[in-house]
Amino acid sequence: MDNTSQFTSLLTNATLSRVERMRMLPMRRRTNRSRGEHLAGKGGTSTEFNDYRDYVAGDDMRYVDWNIFSRLNRPYVKQYRHEEEMHVVVLVDASASMQFGDKFQRAKQLAACFAVMGLLNIEKVSVFACQHAGQTPLILSPCTGRISMKRVFKFLEDIPPGGDFPIEQAVESVLIQHRGRGIAVLLSDFLTFGAMERPMNMLFSAGLEVFAVQLLSGIELNPELTGDLRFVDSENGHTLDVSSVGDLLGFYHEHLNGLQDYLSTLCRQRSGRFICLDSSQAIDDILFDVLKRKGWVQ
Amino acid sequence: MNFPGFSALIHAWWFLLLIPLIIFYFLKLRRPRMEIPSLALWRQVVNDQRVNSPFQKFKRNLLLLFQILLLCCLVLAAMQPYLSSGTQQHQNLPVLIDTSASMGALDGPGGKSRLDEAKEKVSKLIDDLLPGQQLCLISVNGGARRLTDFTSNKRLLHESLSQLKVSQVASHLEDGFRLAQALSRAFPIDSVMLLSDGNVPHEVEFELPFKLNFQRLKAGGPNIGITDLNARRSRNGWDVFARVEGSKDAKTLAEYELLQNGQVIKSDSISIEGTKAERLVFKVAAEVAISIEVRIKPDGFDSLQSDNVAYLDLPKPRPLAVYCPTDMESFRKALAIIPDINLYPGDEGSPTAVDLKFAQGPLSSGPEARVNFNVGYVPDDIASLVEIESGLADIVDWQRTAPLLQHVQLLDVQIGDQPKLTKGVTERDFELAGYEILAQSRTGPLILERSGGGRTDFQFLFHPDRSSLVYRVGFPILVQNAAQVALTRAALSEAKALPAGSLPPRKVQPETEYRVSGPEGFTDSAKSDKDGFLMGLGAPYVGMYEVTGESEPQRIGVSLLSSQESSMSSVEKLNFPEVSVGAATQTVKTDQPLWGWFAFAGLLFLILEWWYFQKKPAGVPG
Repeated sequence: MDNTSQFTSLLTNATLSRVERMRMLPMRRRTNRSRGEHLAGKGGTSTEFNDYRDYVAGDDMRYVDWNIFSRLNRPYVKQYRHEEEMHVVVLVDASASMQFGDKFQRAKQLAACFAVMGLLNIEKVSVFACQHAGQTPLILSPCTGRISMKRVFKFLEDIPPGGDFPIEQAVESVLIQHRGRGIAVLLSDFLTFGAMERPMNMLFSAGLEVFAVQLLSGIELNPELTGDLRFVDSENGHTLDVSSVGDLLGFYHEHLNGLQDYLSTLCRQRSGRFICLDSSQAIDDILFDVLKRKGWVQ
Repeated sequence: MNFPGFSALIHAWWFLLLIPLIIFYFLKLRRPRMEIPSLALWRQVVNDQRVNSPFQKFKRNLLLLFQILLLCCLVLAAMQPYLSSGTQQHQNLPVLIDTSASMGALDGPGGKSRLDEAKEKVSKLIDDLLPGQQLCLISVNGGARRLTDFTSNKRLLHESLSQLKVSQVASHLEDGFRLAQALSRAFPIDSVMLLSDGNVPHEVEFELPFKLNFQRLKAGGPNIGITDLNARRSRNGWDVFARVEGSKDAKTLAEYELLQNGQVIKSDSISIEGTKAERLVFKVAAEVAISIEVRIKPDGFDSLQSDNVAYLDLPKPRPLAVYCPTDMESFRKALAIIPDINLYPGDEGSPTAVDLKFAQGPLSSGPEARVNFNVGYVPDDIASLVEIESGLADIVDWQRTAPLLQHVQLLDVQIGDQPKLTKGVTERDFELAGYEILAQSRTGPLILERSGGGRTDFQFLFHPDRSSLVYRVGFPILVQNAAQVALTRAALSEAKALPAGSLPPRKVQPETEYRVSGPEGFTDSAKSDKDGFLMGLGAPYVGMYEVTGESEPQRIGVSLLSSQESSMSSVEKLNFPEVSVGAATQTVKTDQPLWGWFAFAGLLFLILEWWYFQKKPAGVPG
């Protein structure tokens, strides 16, 4: 395929075309007061009928259902759903640990997809990329509409990899700048020494429903290691001498499963979602198969 | 339980190498570096593992462990460990291996021979040799032959052992013991090992100066064989007698054949049961020299093949040629009554060689003879030992069983010649000179016999004419005995098959090189002496031998003819003059060297270490 004819290097046109017709399915309705596309309760002015109520003095006569009045000779007022705006925050972990395998590329692709879904559903979309600890994350300020797609893709394509920003600190620094309720999409490997309770609580308090996507490469999901090794942390350069690694793989898998259960529990307790993906899996499979089946998107 | 011992404990110093090994291991330890996304999970894993695995330190240095084990194995192997058998160890051990005919017996159809079994035992003995121990292999059959010097060279010992073959002769253990005794003068010997099937004489005429470990092998299977073959002159030719015997467990039918000059002239079958002997008698008419061969073919299994054939050469019948000077009137008169002899000198003169010669002076005069009867003369070689003086002497003792003196009464014979021994001379001096005393007076020997070189000399130091012997009944008997001895020597009256071992002396061209070739590629050579006697030619295998030299080739048949060997009997103990030695109830027990196992374990650890070291962890960049 000719790259010059592609809208973005992150997704093929076919994938993008299918993504444009998809939308995210939040577990709860967390919307801004500002008017938007999401139905958020009675009393709105949308075309979505919700209920009837007795007419009271002062009500807008335009909402009286005259057919009912003619049959019952009593005025009833039709109520319509209120439509509000939802803010989609996409946080891309750009630390050095994401450079292994296809993790970073897959994270950027998923971020693009979620952003496209938000933009084409008239949501506000903002993207954060966290690299180095202590530095301000790279920010794509809230934008909306198809017109912003190019900006979003450009921003994502230009995120440089490498850094040592732990995901829990990254979440806190994002929330310092972010305002608005909606969905927080966290794209990270969640391999951190810190605890994730605090950032999860902060996200929940901020009215953001967490869509946590853990991306792991093959060497993390199924490491095939033996012998005596000296592991070097890609983010901070710390070393760890491990003997007979092959004998420890059982422990490793136990701890990996434990981490996934822990993150899943944290998200579920806060009305969020968690999924662990193999970064080597094709983006189309993830989008149109895994996420659909899990009910993340439709 | 016996604990392992070490032959070379000095090598334990090599264990000190463990110190630099451990030091260098930790100095040189290099772990492959591997960058991973995060240590977060692995740190938890390692913390968890340390809690769960108290032997982590041990496991993490598996390479070091392999290296320590490898070094320990090598050092232990160098220390020459062995598992003691509990028996006393001898530094120099002569091993006598019986290679007589019965050792060729098989234990069953398609089985292995006794010698093969002995070889297996000796081979194990060689393999289990410890440092400092030496073996000397000696083959014992009719004689003894040293196969190797005292050596610990296993290759040499195995090589010599593999070349050992059965000699088809009867056992004669004394020679083996004497050889071991001779070796003990050069090397300290405490014990001698004898490996035999026990088919040896009970009595051994040897004073044991060392301990004897008699390892008796299992006896061979059922066997029948020809144990004797001889012939006696008859009126029309020869009466041939053959004896067939079996072992204790033999019970079979056998066909036999009599061949005359290679042609079968008679065949029949006989039944053999146990040790009961069967005597076969054949009549053979012959006017010329013939060769007789007797063969038996057992119907069932026969453990020993070499005793199934026997050969006998019968000379051309002729009268006995006797030379007796005319002045020995009494002897000529006694000879005249003996039938079928030609007495010389006669009308037609004297031949150059006769069968029996009478003389009363040096034997160099007159024709040559195999049997000489010399009277009234002291040979030059014993002239310094005894001299004859005038005076009366009487015979006080004589060998009544000697062929010459059988049925001859010498008591009260008055003799006019009195022997007088030189001062200090004893009977031993005569024996050293090669003489055997047949009759003795109070003052010295009167009748001597010397055998050797294919001839027999009877020396009468007195002259019978100056004694009352010629007037006794015994005198013609004495002369007849002499004629009988001559007949036997000339094989005119009877002939016996030759047993294996060595060929009998033969009269050939003087000082000529002769070569003998026989079965199984056997060859030997010898030179005849100045008298024309060819002696010392070996014949260790049953079969036909051909003696070649300047004259026409001569074929000689050699047979086993040993009742002992064919019987497959096995003695429980050997009786020496003062002690008896029983067969060992246990098999040969030796210290079991263990260095090979340690060396193998070392190799195993080396391979394991190599594999473990070379095993590249997956995911580690090359």
